Amino acid sequence: MQASRARLFKEYKEVQREKGVDPDIQLICDDSNIFKWTALIKGPSETPYEGGVFQLAFAIPEQYPLLPPQVRFLTKIFHPNVHFKTGEICLDILKNAWSPAWTLQSVCRAIIALMSHPEPDSPLNCDSGNLLRSGDVRGYRSMARMYTKLAAMPKKGAESSHTL
Amino acid sequence: MDSEDDMHDADDLDSLDDQFYSGYAALGSDDGDEYDFVDNVSDGAEESTSHRQQQNYTILSDADIRLRQEEDISRISTVLSILRSEACILLRHYNWSVSRVHDEWFANEDHVRKVVGLLENSSEMQRTRELTCGICFENYPRDRMTSAACGHPFCHTCWRGYISTSISDGPGCLMLRCPDPSCGAAVGQDMIDLLATHEDKEKYSRYLLRSYIEDNRKTKWCPAPGCEFAVEYIIGSGSFDVCCNCSYGFCWNCTEEAHRPVDCDTVAKWILKNSAESENMNWILANSKPCPKCKRPIEKNQGCMHITCTPPCKFEFCWLCLGSWSEHGERTGGFYACNRYDAAKQEGAYDESERRREMAKNSLERYTHYYERWATNQSSRQKALSDLHSMQNEKFLLFQLEKLSDQQSQPESQLKFIIEAWLQIVECRRVLKWTYAYGFYLPEHEHAKRQFFEYLQGEAESGLERLHQCAEKELQIYLDAQIPMNDFNDFRTKLAGLTSVTRNYFENLVRALETGLKDVGSSNNQATCSKSSSSKSLGSKAKGGKSKATGNSSKSAGPSRSMDDSNLWSCDHCTYANPKSTRTCQMCEHHR
Repeated sequence: MQASRARLFKEYKEVQREKGVDPDIQLICDDSNIFKWTALIKGPSETPYEGGVFQLAFAIPEQYPLLPPQVRFLTKIFHPNVHFKTGEICLDILKNAWSPAWTLQSVCRAIIALMSHPEPDSPLNCDSGNLLRSGDVRGYRSMARMYTKLAAMPKKGAESSHTL
Repeated sequence: MDSEDDMHDADDLDSLDDQFYSGYAALGSDDGDEYDFVDNVSDGAEESTSHRQQQNYTILSDADIRLRQEEDISRISTVLSILRSEACILLRHYNWSVSRVHDEWFANEDHVRKVVGLLENSSEMQRTRELTCGICFENYPRDRMTSAACGHPFCHTCWRGYISTSISDGPGCLMLRCPDPSCGAAVGQDMIDLLATHEDKEKYSRYLLRSYIEDNRKTKWCPAPGCEFAVEYIIGSGSFDVCCNCSYGFCWNCTEEAHRPVDCDTVAKWILKNSAESENMNWILANSKPCPKCKRPIEKNQGCMHITCTPPCKFEFCWLCLGSWSEHGERTGGFYACNRYDAAKQEGAYDESERRREMAKNSLERYTHYYERWATNQSSRQKALSDLHSMQNEKFLLFQLEKLSDQQSQPESQLKFIIEAWLQIVECRRVLKWTYAYGFYLPEHEHAKRQFFEYLQGEAESGLERLHQCAEKELQIYLDAQIPMNDFNDFRTKLAGLTSVTRNYFENLVRALETGLKDVGSSNNQATCSKSSSSKSLGSKAKGGKSKATGNSSKSAGPSRSMDDSNLWSCDHCTYANPKSTRTCQMCEHHR
């Protein structure tokens, strides 16, 4: 418990210090609980997620960093490796390929990489996976684009609640 | 090629030099065990089966396994000039095959090093006074940090946690790498021993020991519950039956209970059938009707009521009343209805479900017949086994003491014959049990074979009953007797005699069945003499060197038909060999 708290505090300080170094990722620690974090990540360019801002929720176990954090999308996203309803993410480094040398920051980077390079062969969202597997890239892109527009982009005219 | 490699592996413990040059080096090896085995094959005589069973596998105790593992690691470590912990990682990666490690290593050392995670030049940690741990991000003095060969520093607490997490995750801990995600450097037992808690070290070394048996193609754990022995088997060396030191006998190939004379495929089929039969039968009862003639279940999925069974039966019948179609026509209501059926139903004479059950039962009956006998022998064997154990524990000791005090002339060794008789009963029950699975799969149309088989089985059964009776009932008299009895010596002679007769009979039976009763069906008139048939088949096996002992049970011996006495024909019904000139069997008057 103490070790994970100490480590998270280190990460927290690092995040404060490095603010703005990586413009695609913004990590926010819960004010009252250092084991709860949220992150805002920008959809990578040249993907249907471009221009969207996606919110991630981190639940960090007491054995962190020996065990990986639990991460899920709070923003709805149409992606083969993300559960459409729960936002659960299927990513090897969050499961068996976890290494304690990863940080919350590097997990975010890995998730951005996953958005650019979906793995349709191990899908959590079968509809999306099947579109890609059957070669209907256009179908996949337009669906993904639609959900990005619906869920991950600030409404026109409405004031943006978060700026990156 | 495979077996050659394995032979090579198994016995060239001492001949380091020959190692990577030739697989044939093994045959020249003067390793003790191996020598006996080779010697025995050339022997080829009657006893070779029993001898070979002693020779083609080794039971390994915990200490033996550790010793062998140590030896293998030492050899690799010496030959490749690498650390013992590195040798261990390397061996584990190549499933503990010393020769494979050699082959791969000398073919492409760089590649092997990369795949396994052994760095050629280990880099030290940075030479600064303080270093940052890659996990907790704290700074520590250099002497409180440790790294694998890659030089990535982590503090001892984090190492311990990292190792502990991995060990509690299972045997994957044997492939532990440096925590740095971009680094593949292997973490070996040396670091575990340095950094882990006592408990974790123990777990790790247990995984390592298990891996040595489980990942190695030549070794398996004894499947008996609670047994800690392992068995090393010389692949390609005949009978798969092995008997562990815990007295459990099993088939090395399929790890089911020992099942000679039946082969592994048949056993698997039989076991599957036993487990699936009840459910399947329910489905068949509900959804199909057996052909009224050949009893094969038929599912009607479309079409009219005129059913024609598939060849070879080809019986044409009415689906509704199951009567022959030839009795149907316009007068019974044509092709889509059956008056006979409707009429009978109205009269109440026709209970369809009753009839259906009746029909299905017929096809089930055959299976049940064999299954019941198989299961009865199984439970008989269990009973005999427990009798034997209890005798060894209590009664037998009492009995022995009694005899010893009453009658000085019966020392312990003189009573061994009783144990031997019981051991023989247990073994025979096992064989007999499997002959029923054998019988079930013996093709229906091979009449002569079936008859001969059933005759042999019957003889075996009654022989065994005689022995069992003698060992159980007659022995009881002596166990109950308070005073020494004079005819005890007669009893000894009788029981010992029965034991040896039964043993011989069953050994011959097993051999005859394993060769698929190949003498039957040919014009060989020796077929009824099991002794000669089995010694003949054994001879041919010995000539072939190491042939697989588990023969194909249903194969008939085609070639011998043409070679043997061409002026005789063998009766399909009774197997009697008749001169060509006769049209009917001289023995049973069956037509040719």
